[in-house]
Amino acid sequence: MSARAPDVQRAAGGAPALLPAGLLVLVLLPLLLLPLAAIFVFAFRGGLGEFWRALSSADAQFALRFSLLIAFATALINAVLGTFAAYVLSKYRFAGREALGIVVNLPVAIPTVVVGTSLLLLWGPIGLLGKLIEPFGLQPMFTPVGVLLAHLFVTFPYMLGVIKPLLDELETTYEEAAYTIGASRWQTFRYVILPALRGGLFTGALLTFAHSLGEFGATVMVSGNLRLRTQTAPLYIFAQFEAGNIANANAVAAVLAVLSFVIFFFLLRFTGRRAPAGGPGV
Amino acid sequence: MSIVLERLTKKYDGLVVVDQVSLDVADGELFVLLGTSGSGKSTILRLIAGLSRPDGGRILLRGRDVTALPPQQRGTGFVFQNYSIFRHMSVAENIEFGLKIRKTGAAERARRRDELLELVGMAGLGSRYADQLSGGQQQRVALARALAYEPSVLLLDEPFGALDVKTRAQLRRSLKDVQRKLGVTAILVTHDQDEAFELADRIGVLDHGRLLEVGVPEKLYASPRTLFAATFLGAGTVLVGRSRHDQARFGPVVLPIPPDVPHEDGAPVQVLFRPEEVVLSAEAPNDKSIVLGKGTIIEQSFTGALRRVRLRLPRLPATRQIAPPVPFGEEGMLVDAVVPAETRLAHDAWWVSLRGWHILQQPEPHILIFDAGQGSTSTLTLARQIVEQMDASATVLAVAGDQEEVETERAALLSRQHEAGLTRAQLRVRTGNPVEQIAAEQNESLYSLMMLAPRARRAPVDANGYPERKRLRRLNRLGPIVVRVLERASLPVMVVKKERPALKRLLICTAGGEPGKSDVRVGGRLARRLGASVTLLYVAANQMEPSRIVQSHLERAASTLRSIEVPVEVRVRQARTPAKGILAESREGDHDLIVVGSHGPQSRSIFGRDDVTLQVLIGADRPVLVVPAEEG
Repeated sequence: MSARAPDVQRAAGGAPALLPAGLLVLVLLPLLLLPLAAIFVFAFRGGLGEFWRALSSADAQFALRFSLLIAFATALINAVLGTFAAYVLSKYRFAGREALGIVVNLPVAIPTVVVGTSLLLLWGPIGLLGKLIEPFGLQPMFTPVGVLLAHLFVTFPYMLGVIKPLLDELETTYEEAAYTIGASRWQTFRYVILPALRGGLFTGALLTFAHSLGEFGATVMVSGNLRLRTQTAPLYIFAQFEAGNIANANAVAAVLAVLSFVIFFFLLRFTGRRAPAGGPGV
Repeated sequence: MSIVLERLTKKYDGLVVVDQVSLDVADGELFVLLGTSGSGKSTILRLIAGLSRPDGGRILLRGRDVTALPPQQRGTGFVFQNYSIFRHMSVAENIEFGLKIRKTGAAERARRRDELLELVGMAGLGSRYADQLSGGQQQRVALARALAYEPSVLLLDEPFGALDVKTRAQLRRSLKDVQRKLGVTAILVTHDQDEAFELADRIGVLDHGRLLEVGVPEKLYASPRTLFAATFLGAGTVLVGRSRHDQARFGPVVLPIPPDVPHEDGAPVQVLFRPEEVVLSAEAPNDKSIVLGKGTIIEQSFTGALRRVRLRLPRLPATRQIAPPVPFGEEGMLVDAVVPAETRLAHDAWWVSLRGWHILQQPEPHILIFDAGQGSTSTLTLARQIVEQMDASATVLAVAGDQEEVETERAALLSRQHEAGLTRAQLRVRTGNPVEQIAAEQNESLYSLMMLAPRARRAPVDANGYPERKRLRRLNRLGPIVVRVLERASLPVMVVKKERPALKRLLICTAGGEPGKSDVRVGGRLARRLGASVTLLYVAANQMEPSRIVQSHLERAASTLRSIEVPVEVRVRQARTPAKGILAESREGDHDLIVVGSHGPQSRSIFGRDDVTLQVLIGADRPVLVVPAEEG
């Protein structure tokens, strides 16, 4: 480390790094750092007791648990779906493969509110399909299922985006080696391909989880924002804020922020460690 | 036999990449498949392992037909060029993987693993992971992994290709050791001739999907049968001369053709001599020596024990050089020799003689087809018929304007080739001037026939935009390329003016006072290969009986043809000009091909106003074969 220190301190031209680095911090302060700090300042302004009280209300508890549950389910389902999509797109050659590759990545480009609207227009009471299943008493919108659908939609590309490059990089000779050794297709997937994706699966799941946890736009459309039924943590924060219960909002926001930090820390640690071996960089 | 391949064939996108390969590999043999990239050698290995499905033929491993089995059930051990060590498994787990799949007990697995680690020189490294190993070590692990479950055959696909020279040498020795110790039958694929020589019990030389030759290394080096094997396995000089009365003639140099090398009288013969068979001397050698001439040293390089020398000699008359390749536009002959490194080569001029040589087998007919990339594919269709009837190989050549057009040319050619059903042909795209590139292609390889189509310019106008004069206009009907190719060609050129269903009736013309013998011989050989009949035509200018000289010439020509079992009919016809007589005869007899002689490559002005060849070419409504006059 000590040998590299001069490189860090000095820019290419030999000028001290202190000035530009200081400037950057100065810019980031009002943009990123202070707002984050503000959450915690406000959350604990009334003391720990007040924070705890705000957090333990039935509504807040439900919102947090519901959010975690949905995020967990989303990460789980999309881990399977995303891996499957990545495998098909990476290992098979067929007409329309490129088009399909674009379609599965589309959710990152669409505003989440539009996603919510589109789901409503499909599954809602007057939606294209919703209208057909309504008579059977099935109505996914404004229920937890609707929230899950929205989250699956919005977070679909994250798993895929992590797994597909790994599969592309994994030479076909790995599989072929396994075949000649005597491993069946399933054994090859189980023992050769899946272990090679381990890091990617973890990273992708964390990414999906984090995005699901903070999802707002699509959720607000499809959930109906029904407290104790479909209200996720971000919706709760927004609702409480609007109602003027700043302390309640801040408490949950602080918890979400901490959760995000933890996930982010894991991502950094994990991808940072795996990067030299060909894993994705952050 | 451990491995038997029977007429194994594989096509990709309709192109044949493995062409009816048959091979027997004995128990415990280390067989090396040697070929350039794209020769199909790796594909053969993948077919044996079951990683790719053949389009024809059978594969037997230890007497069991595995052609239809998936790779899992074939029991082959495969070693890839990129090692393909499972990165998340330790070395030990990698080696044990095959045994685990086979549900071998843990104790037995451990025993076998340790044995193999020891064998490949990796003892004690079982707990390492791939990223803690060098390339050479990874390949050792890959070898152990492939051997762990005692495969019936070991297949190695350029296993040392990604390694540095020193590691490569070490690994070669290890591989040979291990293979001998275990007695496992192995096929190794490589493009490296040294590697093949060092490792192989036998070598198979592959070119464009065909297994050309199989033999022990010494035999293949000293006495290859084919030009490809001769030039691919080591340095040497290859000259093309002509066979005459069981002798190969290269101008004044005459070499006997061994009785076991089949040859046709008058056909091209190739001789190979290796650098160590070339003798350099300051004084003129005695009469008994085979002297190529006096040459000057143009290049030399020191290689340790030996000094490699390249000399330039005056060209032998009626002789063409194939290897080493003579740069375009150069006149002389190039000969490679080696001398002990300590030899002082004080002066430049040396007598060059031979202490040994080897006559190559008469090459299979190889047809060069020039394709313009557009228009009718009738030339390709006719070429397909000829290729099939003669069992010849073919190369389709296109010339692109520049490097950027190469890929589009190639794609166009490929689809045209498909359309014509000419799937066996190789494809070649060169860049530059078409006439020059056609000449260069003819020089670099030994073709027996060239085919091309006339291409008319759309508007026959002269430089000022006026319609050209009649003669020029007629010339243009042949297209600018045909005439210039014919002027330079040293091989028979078939101008395909119209497709024929089959070439069954040939018209060989000995008209116009040019009683060339080469046209009869070339036409006769073609007829024999095609199973066609020949009409031998003489066109007389008047009603008189042909002279005695002409009659005896016709008789001799006819008996030459009969001697090679070609049905022949002699016709004498009266006409105002030879060309008119030939054209009339071809129409009346409905011949499929007109064979005429030309004045050969020396004359640059063959197509004068009265040239019979040109008149026939312009007037004919069927394919015309132009045979150049013989040199020397």
